[in-house]
Amino acid sequence: MPEANATNPPTGTVDMTPLDKAPAPELPNDIIAKERYTDADFMRLEWERMWSKIWLLGCMEQDIPEAGDYVATEIGHESILLVRQADGAVRAFYNVCQHRGNQLRPEGAGHAESFQCAYHHWEYHLDGTFKRIPDSETFPQGTPCTGLEEIPCDTWGSMVWFSLDPDVEPLADFLDMIPAHLDPYQFHKMARDRHVTVEWDCNWKTSVDAFNESYHVQGIHPQLLWHLDDLNIQIDCYERHNRYIIEFATLSPRVNQPPEIPMGIKHLMKEGGMDPADYYGRVKDVRADLQAHKREHAPEQGKDYSRLHDAQLTDDFHYLIFPNVTMNVHADDYWIFRQRPHASDPNKCYFDIWTFNLVPEGEEWPDPPEFKQFRHGDRSIGLVLDQDAANLPGVQKGMNSKGFRGLWIGDQELRIRHFHKVLDDYLYGPGGKPDGAL
Amino acid sequence: MDLGLKGKNAIITGSTRGIGRAIAERLASEGMNVAIGARDDEATAAAGKEIAEAHGVKVFAKPCNVKDAEAYKAWLEAAIEDLGGLDVFVPNVSGGGGMDSEKNWWRNFEIDVLHTVRGAETCLPALKESGAGAIVIIGSTNAVETFMGPMAYNAMKAALVTYSKQLSQFVAGKGVRVNTVSPGPIYFEGGAWEMIKGTMPKMYEGVLKQIPAGRMGTPEEVANVVAFLASPAASLVTGVNLVADNGFTKRVQL
Repeated sequence: MPEANATNPPTGTVDMTPLDKAPAPELPNDIIAKERYTDADFMRLEWERMWSKIWLLGCMEQDIPEAGDYVATEIGHESILLVRQADGAVRAFYNVCQHRGNQLRPEGAGHAESFQCAYHHWEYHLDGTFKRIPDSETFPQGTPCTGLEEIPCDTWGSMVWFSLDPDVEPLADFLDMIPAHLDPYQFHKMARDRHVTVEWDCNWKTSVDAFNESYHVQGIHPQLLWHLDDLNIQIDCYERHNRYIIEFATLSPRVNQPPEIPMGIKHLMKEGGMDPADYYGRVKDVRADLQAHKREHAPEQGKDYSRLHDAQLTDDFHYLIFPNVTMNVHADDYWIFRQRPHASDPNKCYFDIWTFNLVPEGEEWPDPPEFKQFRHGDRSIGLVLDQDAANLPGVQKGMNSKGFRGLWIGDQELRIRHFHKVLDDYLYGPGGKPDGAL
Repeated sequence: MDLGLKGKNAIITGSTRGIGRAIAERLASEGMNVAIGARDDEATAAAGKEIAEAHGVKVFAKPCNVKDAEAYKAWLEAAIEDLGGLDVFVPNVSGGGGMDSEKNWWRNFEIDVLHTVRGAETCLPALKESGAGAIVIIGSTNAVETFMGPMAYNAMKAALVTYSKQLSQFVAGKGVRVNTVSPGPIYFEGGAWEMIKGTMPKMYEGVLKQIPAGRMGTPEEVANVVAFLASPAASLVTGVNLVADNGFTKRVQL
């Protein structure tokens, strides 16, 4: 298990990511109903009792740095405008004109001085209040309301969050232990280098599941067995969210130690400024030496690892922020995969890939990447994700088969079981799932 | 055919696993006493025990880092003394492939080339005394045909082929033969090709397609060739580079 190096403790011990193993949740071993992934009524239940009640990741703060910058993001059948205000705050509104219901902005990012509806030019200030209604005197009933329909919006971790529930709990309460775990990485120092949405032919949960267990590594990512330890993994389930910690820059116990340093581990060494040439025949020494090397050279590389444990300098700390944000977090980069349900089809979802790299002190913040959206298979999204993506439509198809009884989940897939328990608590109330319910 | 190795002594460097281990096993199976070693203490002890038990021969098994010139020389001298003379020397250790930095060049020079040269110089007096002394250097088909990239490994293996031939002329009158065995792709558990098959399956398949017989070699097959060249049965053969690659290389060797 990854743990802090006791003989060479990092510079601080407060405000660091907890490494302790969380108590194992008591969860039944029963089959998980496949209809949860395919049934339209279940999808509606998810919308009414879960998606509409929780905090949702909308965009990154770096997407909207200046007053008037906005992002229109979609969740289910709704579209939301996230708007940077003159005072630096971010506010969220339904992306809809109060006149006849026209959508104000297409999905995507932009900059506006005001939001003018294209239909009859009703116009709104950045704070959502009416700016101008053409021929307003022809509405004897007056204006319909004060302006755009505002919804709760808050920020954490350089991310902008919103909720469709006006009475939602504070974001900090929803996020629970997440900030304590992830703030030490200092996400505000990491610049986006990838912004992609892929349309996938699977339920959003089929995609979430694919990232919440390491059991599939030996199945569809055999090359990663020479990159990480897929067997000795710490799984931690919290109230809503969960994580696992995977040692990187090491070998799976499933494979023999090769003489050469595997390509993936070489890459990690080079990124950390280490020369793999010294490690021929010594791959087992790499992980610890890479941690020490990164710690030692961090100041000259303009990096601050003072709040990170040694394990965090190499390993993959993978988090699920319930229900749909999966994150691979590393000292020098992190990836957010946001899976969004389709508006009406349980067999489809949107898979958003947002990746970020640490910008060392003194280096210029790079320009944001161009946003790309395409259907699965039209373009490569990298070897590992291609392997995941290629697999998912088949999983979804099988979920719809009469010959499939349901999900048969093992210990390595504990996070999937935990995820479904949390989902049930939203759908049926804590512990209130009726017998026979999906 | 009796190779005539029984009761003779051999030193094989880098011999706890892979090709080196197979050579040690093969020579021991012929009744040779063997000196084996690698950097790892435990692996060396374990391999020594296994070889001794399997073949009932005398085994000198001590860890050895060939990069440390003095320690390496002392290790060779201790082995020769312990075995009571030397007939066969197989410098097998390699610094491996890679084009990561200039360090690869220094590594392959120091480990592949210098370890062979230093080893030969230290062992030659004992090999001359043997009357049937043989050095078998381990080359690579990467030296004779372009492979992967302009790696230090390939160029340094080529240096060994040249060194081997010229050394063979230099010591021919002293009753010592010097030959090189150049293996093609050799597959074994824990070998580089096993990893390449797992991590870069397309590259693995591509190389496999270049082998007309459709399979890579095994360490045991390389060991057979080494055993022959090391033995008095090959008394006429010196200065050759014997390619053992199942047809992987395509050049005409005249």
